[in-house]
Amino acid sequence: MQYKSQAVAKPYFIAAIGLFVGQILFGLIMGLQYVIGDFLFPAIPFNVARMVHTNLLIVWLLFGFMGASYFLVPEESETELYSPKLAMITFWVFLVAGALTVLGYLLVPYATLAKFTGNDLLATMGREFLEQPLITKVGIVIVALSFLFNIAMTVLKGRKTAISLVLLLGLLGLAVFFLFSFYNPANLVKDKFYWWWVVHLWVEGVWELILGAILAFVLIKVTGVDREVIEKWLYVIITMTLITGIIGTGHHYYWIGAPEYWQWWGSIFSALEPIPFFMMTVFAFNMVNRRRREHPNKVATLWALGTGVMAFLGAGLWGFLHTLAPINFYTHGTQLTAAHGHMAFYGAYVAVVLTMISYAMPILRGRAANSPKAQVVEMWAFWLMSVSMVFITLFLTGAGIVQIWLQRVSDTPMGFMAVQDQVAIFYWMREGTGVVFLIGLIVYLCSFFVKSESKVAA
Amino acid sequence: MQNLIQSNSVSTGIWLVLAVLTLLTFSIGEAGMAGRQVMLGLLFIALVKGQMVANYFMGLRQAGFWWRALVLFYFLIVGGLIALAYLMGLD
Amino acid sequence: MNSQSAVMVYEPQAVQAVSREEGLPGDFAIWIFIFAEMLAFGVLFVAYAFTRAGNVELFNASQQTLSQTAGAINTLVLITSSYFVVRGVAAIKRGLSEQCAWWLSGAVLLGGVFVAIKLVEFHAKFAAGISLSTNAFYMFYLALTFFHFMHVLMGMIILGCVIAKARRGGYSARDHVGVETGASFWHMVDLLWIILFPLVYVIR
Repeated sequence: MQYKSQAVAKPYFIAAIGLFVGQILFGLIMGLQYVIGDFLFPAIPFNVARMVHTNLLIVWLLFGFMGASYFLVPEESETELYSPKLAMITFWVFLVAGALTVLGYLLVPYATLAKFTGNDLLATMGREFLEQPLITKVGIVIVALSFLFNIAMTVLKGRKTAISLVLLLGLLGLAVFFLFSFYNPANLVKDKFYWWWVVHLWVEGVWELILGAILAFVLIKVTGVDREVIEKWLYVIITMTLITGIIGTGHHYYWIGAPEYWQWWGSIFSALEPIPFFMMTVFAFNMVNRRRREHPNKVATLWALGTGVMAFLGAGLWGFLHTLAPINFYTHGTQLTAAHGHMAFYGAYVAVVLTMISYAMPILRGRAANSPKAQVVEMWAFWLMSVSMVFITLFLTGAGIVQIWLQRVSDTPMGFMAVQDQVAIFYWMREGTGVVFLIGLIVYLCSFFVKSESKVAA
Repeated sequence: MQNLIQSNSVSTGIWLVLAVLTLLTFSIGEAGMAGRQVMLGLLFIALVKGQMVANYFMGLRQAGFWWRALVLFYFLIVGGLIALAYLMGLD
Repeated sequence: MNSQSAVMVYEPQAVQAVSREEGLPGDFAIWIFIFAEMLAFGVLFVAYAFTRAGNVELFNASQQTLSQTAGAINTLVLITSSYFVVRGVAAIKRGLSEQCAWWLSGAVLLGGVFVAIKLVEFHAKFAAGISLSTNAFYMFYLALTFFHFMHVLMGMIILGCVIAKARRGGYSARDHVGVETGASFWHMVDLLWIILFPLVYVIR
């Protein structure tokens, strides 16, 4: 570790992994509820499990991004963090607020939670992914602002690199677009229109800048390739990402009452969204092939390459499958969307956070890399999780295609619930691969506790 | 040095040809001409202009054969599909 | 890096290999960009043509309201600016930074003329109450020309940066990848307009 204050990243990473475990457990509960509808009812109804599954994902990724930033920015800026104390305060505030929110979801009926938390003052609850109570939303804004302040001050007082500037731009966008979660117009078209400004412009816009910056940082460290080369590619990739991602928002505007031209704009620009992901994959492999040093942390390199490939498959290819308006007419809101969502989130964001953790955690624990034995265990975890995610995606795609056929394309369309019975076999297989994913995650956790017989020189 | 002076006069020549072709396109339009042959003619002019810009101005002449072929294919495919769509519209 | 006692192998060719692949002029990264942009415009052009096939009368009638003269002048303006850029690149190849900057400045000036003419056109259309939702032709006309317009602005910014560096003597007869990179982008803007002009303004 080059700077003492980088150590604040450690609790963030630990919290992220802890919440990740929670997310997967609720995913498995919900996956079972797809086929055994009353499983754990009434203790954990499906809608609550879903809310916890998705909210935990977002929160743990945010923890991961914050930890990554606290690790990355001092090193890039070549200076200590502006205020490690503030970073620790925001950590506890965020963790406690997150835990209380999840407990609120689980213990109190949602309507009661809304009443307790001042939803009457400003109605922001009840929208997918943005279910958080008003006070949690305000808390998120405060945490995000203090985090941004801390990072920005560090960047300003130190060296300014392309990586930290792109990261800062991404984090700023993350905070700004979250503000649209407070705008909840009664007009349903407007409601959806701006809802996507949070949801889409996060995951297909500013988060990709964060992803690009983190990936570029790790690649510089593990490959030793010239900064200028990596930064140039970072610029090209993020420019393409922003152009295609921002106008590509149109692929959510096809059927919600927005003007018709969005069908053209959305189709064409989001059809190009795979290009930056493809470039990112080519870029990652290219840099690793051209490496100028053999970094002892092999598994971090594996995660970095995995990010490129899985992000291209999940976000790029599976997104393209149903992004064109004439196809999306039949496919929107089916299990095909769920398939895309799973692999895209895993490939792009889960993988990049785990890449960073894989690179940074050994350093935070006082060594350049984990012992070869621990690395092999972590590689097993990588393959178990990645391969099972591919199968989860394939089974959901199968379910989606059958669903689209029976429910949308057919001359005698079946009802939603009747179709759900028809695709039960896919849900069972998905649940099975979900269990494999959990095993992969447990192996991942174990990799942190593998005793190193011979420490690599620090 | 001699080469460079030559290449400057080549690019000046290209520029003049491009200007003449533009005026040709313009006068075809102003004359209100339409129809299959006119459409194909205009697309052909665009193809020629595009090739001149790509090969002489952009300097793809010095680049590998496949890069030049790529740009040519682009023009042929885009132009071909445009022509196809126009012919469909004529029926 | 005190935590990395790893072996360093120095490879001076590495940087060179990225910046000049296959002899394409300028930085290879800009070419990825250029091909991606050409793809995007290509799809838009073809989409325009096929949408027209279903609404020939509407497209022809709406097309009549465009100013062919403005379109043709803008074509000449862009072609000439491209020619200036070619001369700018030729100048720097002889090590003439000052001349290079002047030629490129001329190109940017012509870019400004293009922008001005285009703004007058846009203003006329908006003043007539035409928007993206008026009909399919205007949707494509506005979308295509606006998207292209943004590229002209982008190209002007890029050339502006190149000019600033050239004036500082940042390029030489041997090292002028930056000039070629900016030039390639500008030629692409020209190239796309060469298709756009006949397609949207002239062919009926």
